[in-house]
Amino acid sequence: MPGLLADGVELWPLALYFVAVVVLAGGILGLSYVLGERHRERATGMPYESGMIPTGSARVRMPVEFYLVALFFVIFDLEAVFIFGWAISARQLGWAGYVEVVIFIAVLVSALVYLWRQGALDWGTARRAGADRDRSGRRHGDE
Amino acid sequence: MTLEQIRALLPLIILVGAAVAIMLGLAVRRNHAFTVAVAVGSLAAAILSLALGPTVATPITPLLRLDGFSVFFSGLILAASLFVAVLSHGYWNRRRTVISEEFYILLLLAAAGSVTLTMAVHFASFFLGLEILSGSLYAMIAYERDRQAAVEAGIKYLVLAGGSSAVLLFGMALVYARTGTLDMAAAAAKLAGALDVLTLAGVAMILVGIGFKLALAPFHLWAADVYEGAPAPTAAYAATVSKGAIFALLVRLAAAMDIQSNPPFQATLAAAAVITMFAGNLLALRQSNLKRLLAYSSIAHMGYLLVAFLAAGTLGRTAVGFYLAAYIITTLGVFAVMIVLSGTERDADRLEDYIGLSRAHPLLAAVFAGMLLSLAGLPLTAGFVGKFYLLAAGVGAHLWVLVAALVISSTISLFYYLRFIAAAYAQPAAPPALPAAVAMPRLARLAIAVLVILLLWLGVYPAAVIRAIQEAVAIGR
Amino acid sequence: MPVSRRGATAVRALALAAMAVELVLAVGAWIYYGRLGAVGAPGAWLVELNWPWIAPLGIRLHLAMDGLSLLMVLLTAFLGLSSVVVSWREITQRVGHFHLHLMLVLAGVVGVFLAVDLFAFYFFWELMLIPMYFLIDLWGHEDRHRAAVKFFLFTQFGGLAMLLGILALYFAHASQTGQYSFDLADLARTNLAPAAAMLMMLGFFLGFAVKLPAFGLHPWLPAAHTQAPTAGSVILAGLLLKTGAYGLLRFAVPLFPEAARQFAPVAMALGVAGILYGAVLAFAQSDLKRLVAYTSISHLGFVLLGVYSFNVLALQGAVMQMLCHGLSTGALFIIAGLLQDRLGTREMGRMGGLWAVAPKMGAAAMVFAMASLGLPGLGNFIGEFLVLLGAFKVNVALTAVATAGLVAATIYSLWLIQRVFFGPSAEPPAMEDLRPHESLVLLAMVAVLLWLGLFPQAVLETSRAAMEYVAGTQVTATAEIPQLSTPGARIKGATPKFMEWTPTLSESTGEILQLRMLGVRIEGATPKFMESIPTKSESTGEILQLGVPRARIEGATPKFMESTPTKSESTEEIPQLSALKAGIEGAPRESRELTPRSEEGSRFRLQLTSGTRLMSFDGCLPVPLSAPWRGRFDHVSRPEFPDVPVARTAGVRPVCGLARPEFPDVPVVCELARPEFPDVMALAVPKGGRR
Repeated sequence: MPGLLADGVELWPLALYFVAVVVLAGGILGLSYVLGERHRERATGMPYESGMIPTGSARVRMPVEFYLVALFFVIFDLEAVFIFGWAISARQLGWAGYVEVVIFIAVLVSALVYLWRQGALDWGTARRAGADRDRSGRRHGDE
Repeated sequence: MTLEQIRALLPLIILVGAAVAIMLGLAVRRNHAFTVAVAVGSLAAAILSLALGPTVATPITPLLRLDGFSVFFSGLILAASLFVAVLSHGYWNRRRTVISEEFYILLLLAAAGSVTLTMAVHFASFFLGLEILSGSLYAMIAYERDRQAAVEAGIKYLVLAGGSSAVLLFGMALVYARTGTLDMAAAAAKLAGALDVLTLAGVAMILVGIGFKLALAPFHLWAADVYEGAPAPTAAYAATVSKGAIFALLVRLAAAMDIQSNPPFQATLAAAAVITMFAGNLLALRQSNLKRLLAYSSIAHMGYLLVAFLAAGTLGRTAVGFYLAAYIITTLGVFAVMIVLSGTERDADRLEDYIGLSRAHPLLAAVFAGMLLSLAGLPLTAGFVGKFYLLAAGVGAHLWVLVAALVISSTISLFYYLRFIAAAYAQPAAPPALPAAVAMPRLARLAIAVLVILLLWLGVYPAAVIRAIQEAVAIGR
Repeated sequence: MPVSRRGATAVRALALAAMAVELVLAVGAWIYYGRLGAVGAPGAWLVELNWPWIAPLGIRLHLAMDGLSLLMVLLTAFLGLSSVVVSWREITQRVGHFHLHLMLVLAGVVGVFLAVDLFAFYFFWELMLIPMYFLIDLWGHEDRHRAAVKFFLFTQFGGLAMLLGILALYFAHASQTGQYSFDLADLARTNLAPAAAMLMMLGFFLGFAVKLPAFGLHPWLPAAHTQAPTAGSVILAGLLLKTGAYGLLRFAVPLFPEAARQFAPVAMALGVAGILYGAVLAFAQSDLKRLVAYTSISHLGFVLLGVYSFNVLALQGAVMQMLCHGLSTGALFIIAGLLQDRLGTREMGRMGGLWAVAPKMGAAAMVFAMASLGLPGLGNFIGEFLVLLGAFKVNVALTAVATAGLVAATIYSLWLIQRVFFGPSAEPPAMEDLRPHESLVLLAMVAVLLWLGLFPQAVLETSRAAMEYVAGTQVTATAEIPQLSTPGARIKGATPKFMEWTPTLSESTGEILQLRMLGVRIEGATPKFMESIPTKSESTGEILQLGVPRARIEGATPKFMESTPTKSESTEEIPQLSALKAGIEGAPRESRELTPRSEEGSRFRLQLTSGTRLMSFDGCLPVPLSAPWRGRFDHVSRPEFPDVPVARTAGVRPVCGLARPEFPDVPVVCELARPEFPDVMALAVPKGGRR
């Protein structure tokens, strides 16, 4: 292994790290396999609902807005990282940096406007469907 | 950033600006025709800005560089995007079940990503462009959300492209680890031709990543399913713009790092080229779905291109440039026919849809036959000169095995192209499976007419084009 | 698209008119050039067109016509006209479309016969394919799809093999001269290693042999001929097969004379195999068109045999055979088509006794069957006879076997007539005889065949120069050729193979040969040599400076010179000199070859004739050429010395001399060159290119 890299970069820590990861992961899985309890009863394969016996199907239709909003949050939150990055060195970057960040924010705002007007920020399904129909006269694909 | 650099960057600015503008426009009011007009207008403006842009090579930050090479390939990509946008108009108009306007935002963004790829001289911009392109493509493929096949295709592409991006990134990281720079030319200079195991692995992984995107064998498995599931305009886009952009990048990367003269890569790529040509053509033989057939044939065409790519040198690069142009025109032509024939429910991608086409639409059938003949490389069409050029490059570089593989596999390819042509000219036994398509939109007609003119122009008197390409591809290190 | 009756008639009339104009033009050209007495051969084209096309690749739209192409174009026009006429009644579906494809094929065929730029040639070659494919696939008979695909794949594969040959030659030429060109004349000058030449020749041969078709590459032919509509069969048999033979004559042989010579026994054997195979299989057919198709294989075998016999006699026979086969087989296909149209079958078992109801057709068929079996008085006889006569000189055994083909032809032709027109009929035949337009076509064909058979001289005269060119490029064994060289050559070695041409210049001792035109600079040699360019004289005690500069040979005693692109591997013993290559014993290999990379316009090709052989020299000879070659002489002086006439620049005290007494049959003629230099003579080729 040391011969692998000619100019002095030590590879062995990386290799050791790799081995450690494999050993650890293998160890955990293997130990739990060896030591773990095993039993096979009526309720073993049943979903755990805090002791309740589940009723009905698990395939319930539910609105995905929660998921959407979570996604939007992640996106916009991530964009904030860039703005912080700019803010820290705003003086060094000067007007050019300012213009750039303004463009950046403007794009973000247009995305937000777009989402808002599409009804993506509305909770519940009723209005959104109606809004869509009003606007385009066409039905949304998934409804 | 100087004014000159902004001028050089103008195509990208226009594209992204138009994407944002469309988005805002949609927030106000949905109007398909208007959206298309903005998209097409911005693409045309981007082409114009390329044409009027700086005439000398202009570096734009360390990431991008506008030179003859990127101007040529960007122009090609933008023009192809424009055609797809025009053709999409009629297509989505007929699909009343789907909201169509967002498609153009994605299309513009994908075009921006592709243009970035052609200008990239840095691994960061390479990756950035690639991800913008792929990200838009995922959505474009799965655009018809209520069609299971489309969603499946989207997911498939997402997973595989994601995986290949990871491989690509790892490769870049390895190269970076050795050279300490992400600039392609600087990295190449540091490596100076001598690759050790680490960088060898790095470059190999980069090539694998690129191979995935180009659907080179053995990484070609996704192509047919994705094309089949995707709506026809997206398939057209993936087959032309995305492949063209990535191939352009490959050529530039190879020119910087001198990949072709490195024996291990040369051998590997040559093997990949042979396998790709045969795999593409043999798998296409049994297809009776036009989209799948085009997917496999595009795989084969990428294999052909590799021959010229491996030939390297100005001749090889010119051949790549010319063949890509011919391939894009031709493939767009076939897809254009498919798009205008596609009805409200599904795409006209089955063999049955084309039986007796010459009765219902004689002109369209002629275009269809002409485009397929061009793919097969027969004279009067761009494909003929293109294939001639590829073979010339291969023979000039003494790549005899590759050239022989090209000859044999392209003879095989005649089988399946002829099958569809014969179908188009056969007498229909039953009434056509698709109702005669609604009257073709005038724009689509114009687009098809332009494609046919280009096809013949490149096939009959390509001197000017070749000269332009020769100048364009004369990239230094 | 349903086309109205009137529309269909208009389309037919248009096609007819186009072919008529073509025919008139071709005949006009023939008469015009015939009266001028111009013969036409490569290098001295009757007429040529040379336009830039794809300049970056050195591709030009170079079309040229010599006697051979003229005859082929004539045949094309004639058969094209006939096919339009015979399709008049047969084709009722998609008439416009049909004629579009028909005209496209014919355009491709004419292009093939005229192109002398290899890219243009390949372009037209491929152009023939698609419409032919459609003709078979859309208007053919019951098994048309398979036949069409088979046809397409075979020819396409052959075409691509040929393309590889073209490209290899192109790059070989470019790497030697630095000049990218697809022009036949340029590529013919390429110096090739024997192995490379053989491979490239095989590429070309494969392409042409598939079309011909040579034995072994023929499986597409019976199917395609049988399934095609009548016009398609006529064009396939009459023209497309001829493009293969034409390609051999125009490209495969002249470009690679030595390789072709080596390959000749194989090719001749293939030809003979084709003759017998086609004839034997023709017996076994019950399908009329299939039978005729197999006879084509047999007849084209004669062409192959003739081409590779390498003498003017056999080559002339091959040309004759090409023309007559086109007519007679075309006519037989027409008759088969007419019968199928009327009876709805091609099975000979279901015909018989047709003479009674259709005597005109029977008579016509009889004539063409007689032509096919080689009856004297009809053109085919001349062709086959000449081929056999020529081949006999080369290979007696093969010729003897080939003669058996004639016997077989007699049997199957008579059998055909017997079964179709006489013989017992299964059912009482009720059939219309020839309609007037059909009679007209067949009568014209009979007339032409008779004319060819009785007065073949007109055709033979037309193709003669071209065929002599083909035969003349077959110079191989240098030992048997009196070497005539450009002046100043002295050839060491015994034997009367020695010619020296510069009375004034030669001060050469027995050891040093003079190089002249060449531009050779020899360092470190003893100055036994007179150098005669006043302006450029740099001859010190050590350096010899000769003629046109360009090459230098260092550190060697110049013992001999090797010459000419095509010949002389036997340099050890028979040194030859010419413009192109100078070899000096003991010199390092890389300095042995001089490539005349001269500037544009300062090189040309000189052809000297000895007997019936042509020898070519390339280089920078200052020779204003005389009559037949005038068109080829495209330079006057060297760019560096614009005002110095070439002859002087080269520093040659004029070369003169009638043929040497020792070699009376080597013609070299002198002409006065320039008024300013009354004593400067130039070397020229005698009028007519022959003795």
